[in-house]
Parts: sequence; structure tokens; C-alpha cells
Amino acid sequence: MQNDLKDLEHAKSFWFADWAFPIIVGLMSAGVFAGTSMYYNYGVGAFNEVAIVAMLKAGMSGGSYGAAAAFGASFLFARILEGSLVGILDLGGSILTGVGIGIPAILLSVGIKLPMESFPIALLTGLVLGVIIGGVIYLVRKFTIGQSSSTFGADVMMGAGNQTGRFLGPLIILSAITASIPIGIGSTIGAAIFYAWKKPLPGGAIIGAMIAGFFFPVGLK
Amino acid sequence: MHITVIFIQSLIVGALVGFAAGIGAARMFNAPKVQALGAFRTLGEMNAAEGDPVSHFSFGLGFFFNAWASTVGAGAFTQDITHRVIPNWAAAALLIRNKKIAETVHNPKKMGIAGLVIGILVVTFLNITSSAIPESLQVTAVKVLVPAANTLINIVMPVLFWLAAIDAGHRSGLFGTVFGGLAGLIMGNAVPGVVLGILLGKGVDELGWRRITKIMLVAIILLFVLSGFFRGFDIETLKSLHLSTPDWLNHLHGLVNPE
Repeated sequence: MQNDLKDLEHAKSFWFADWAFPIIVGLMSAGVFAGTSMYYNYGVGAFNEVAIVAMLKAGMSGGSYGAAAAFGASFLFARILEGSLVGILDLGGSILTGVGIGIPAILLSVGIKLPMESFPIALLTGLVLGVIIGGVIYLVRKFTIGQSSSTFGADVMMGAGNQTGRFLGPLIILSAITASIPIGIGSTIGAAIFYAWKKPLPGGAIIGAMIAGFFFPVGLK
Repeated sequence: MHITVIFIQSLIVGALVGFAAGIGAARMFNAPKVQALGAFRTLGEMNAAEGDPVSHFSFGLGFFFNAWASTVGAGAFTQDITHRVIPNWAAAALLIRNKKIAETVHNPKKMGIAGLVIGILVVTFLNITSSAIPESLQVTAVKVLVPAANTLINIVMPVLFWLAAIDAGHRSGLFGTVFGGLAGLIMGNAVPGVVLGILLGKGVDELGWRRITKIMLVAIILLFVLSGFFRGFDIETLKSLHLSTPDWLNHLHGLVNPE
């Protein structure tokens, strides 16, 4: 009885049905795309790692959007394929990096600024993009599920992705050391304290560097 | 006023992202039967907390501090907000009142609503506090984080993905090397190419040359051709080989990119 009820729920209700998936992705994309618009306008609110947001920043401050566009778009492409096959769409690669960084970079690189400058249009653009992505996955899933058992090396990529994260802490400390002596000391102490507390290194390294930078400011050359 | 605009926009963004992250995370426990939105690491970590609200909360808290530092420094939330903070805090909030994970953490409706509330609180808090940060701190953060991030993207990530591709098997190593080199040349970063190489290589390893893998190969080639064209890679190549650019190619570029 309990199981029958649950199966019925799976098939019919919004919360479990496959047809609801495009709507959920749409809502997520609307929020993330609008978040990038806030970053574009006010410098806060991008839903991604510092390293990836820095690629978009490179384009915004006069450089090329190429890296961000290519990186984001190819991640989106890969994740859509993978997501429909494994049943979990990777939020980070598809929405946060693809919709949040890649698509804004593509739009900005060809001079389309409105979706970034206007908050309501950003929400709408994100919603439409998300519904399209969710819809594509819904269709791919309908036609491929059960036919393929490959994960397309998702485990390999995830392993490498997690490895990358581990490098950030030491890299921040090395970079802080070249900024100035007090900032280097602050960063080292911060990272050590975080490590002792069993917290990820980058947080401590950044906070330590910033506290030291507050008392011993450096110029931005 | 500036801060009011940020406040209102944060409420909207937080509500949307929180709601979707909550539903997506709960649906993961029902995948692959139900299409979910999340990440394998989120699924693993949430299982590791074993339905204990304190574990869920403190796990989220550790990443929340990291995200806070990153937002203050560079305006970037980190992916942990959607991957770790919102799902785990939503789970913790539900588990305080009801310990049965089947009725709480695995229920998309309840997780969606809890995620909505937590999304609003977290996003608004991060945006408001970080926009009120003194200038000297932002300068420090930029000087420290940007070089570190550049090294990470341009050297560490390509090398790690490349080695992973090579370790994953002969085919993904070969595709990864070819696509990685091309991507480095055309797109300015080798990572997307290596990722595509792993994707195709492992796909062919596990499935063989079927329709789906052939479509992938065509799509990847198309991706390289198009991004090469739009970034003017064809003209750059001809120039560096000391060849003249044919007129029709210049016209074609003029058509799509009137500058």
C-alpha cells in the first residue's frame, strides 16, 4: 500500500515527475543568471568559484571573454549529455558554470549587454535558458534511458575536479606571500588555524590575508 | 539607493535558487528513477551526515565561512552555496522536527520550501555584508586571489585533467591530448578540450562507436570549428604561417562580426 502510493506520487505529482524537471531547472537558472547580473552591476552575487568568476571578470575589465565562454559552454554541453544519462544533472557544471558564466560571456563578447544590465530581463533570460536545458534533458532521457549504461567518464572528471580544489589553498598562500610580507604571514597563520580546525585551507588563507591587508594595506598596481 | 536594490534582488535570487536547490537535492535520493538536479558529491556528503541535524548544519557552516570569505574578497559565492550550504541547512532544519529522513530530506516538497527560506537568508546576508566591506580589504583580496586563481585555471586544472585523462585509459588519453591541445590553442584554455576527450574516450570505451558516440564526435568537431571561427583563430593561423588571408574569408568574418 505504502509503495503503491509512492509510485503514484512519482508518476503524477509536480515534486517527482519528469515533466516538472524543466521548470525546476528554469527557476534555478533564473536565479543564477540574475546572480551573475548582480555581479556584473554591483560586483557581488556570482554563484561560482573565484577562479571561474575571474574568467568572466577578465572579460569585463577589458580582456577577452573567450576563456569564460569556451569553458562555460563546453561544460554545459558535457553536463547536459551526462545529466540525462545518469539521472543527476550536475548543478555546478551545467547551471552555475554554463548558464552563470559561459552564456553571459558569450552574450557580452558579441556586445549583447541588456540581459546583464537589466535585472528583470536577466531573470527572464535565465528562466528561458533553464527551461530549454531542462527540456533537452527531458527529451534525451526519454529516448536514451535504459539504452545506455555508460557514465562517459563522469567519475574521472569528478576525481580531477576534486583534486583541483585541493590546490587552491596552497596557491592562495603562495600568492599572498608575493603580495607583501604581512599579508603572507597573515595568510599562513589563517590557513594553519583553519587546518587545525579541520576546515578547508582556502577560507583561512583568504581571511588571514585580508585581516593583515586591513592593517598593512597594499596598493593595487 | 544602492544597498536597497541589492537587498531586493538578493531576496528574489535567493528564493529562486534555494527553492530549486532544495527540490533538486531531494530528488537526488530518488534518482535515476526521477531526474534530479544536484551533484554526486552533494549526494555522498548528505548521506555521510546520516540524518543527524547537527552534522548537516556544521558541514554547511564550514563551507558557509569559506563562501563568505570568497564573497567578501571577490564577489563570488563559490559553488558550495548551492552544493553544500543550502541542501545541508535545509536538511538540518527539517530534521530538527522530524528525524525520519524518508519524510523530510527525501521529500522534494519539504526540501524545496526549507531551501527557499534558507536561500533567501544566505544570499541576502552574503550580498549585504560583502557590499559594505572597506576598500583596502577588496584590494588585498584581488591581489591575492586573482594570481592564485589564474595559476589554478591556466596550469593546475589543465595538468590535473590531462593526467586523469591519461590514467583513465588509452583512448581518453589520446582524445584528451588532441582536444586539449586544440582547445588550448583555440579557446585559450585546455581544460574544456581534455574534458571532452574524457567524455568521448570513456563513452567509446564503454559503448563502442554507436550512434550516440558518433553524434558526440561530430558535435565536438563542430564546437571547435565554430569557436575557432568566432575567435578569429583561422585568420591568426594564416598570419602566423606568413600566408595571406583570402578575401572571401575576410568577408565572412565581416558578416558575423561587424566592427
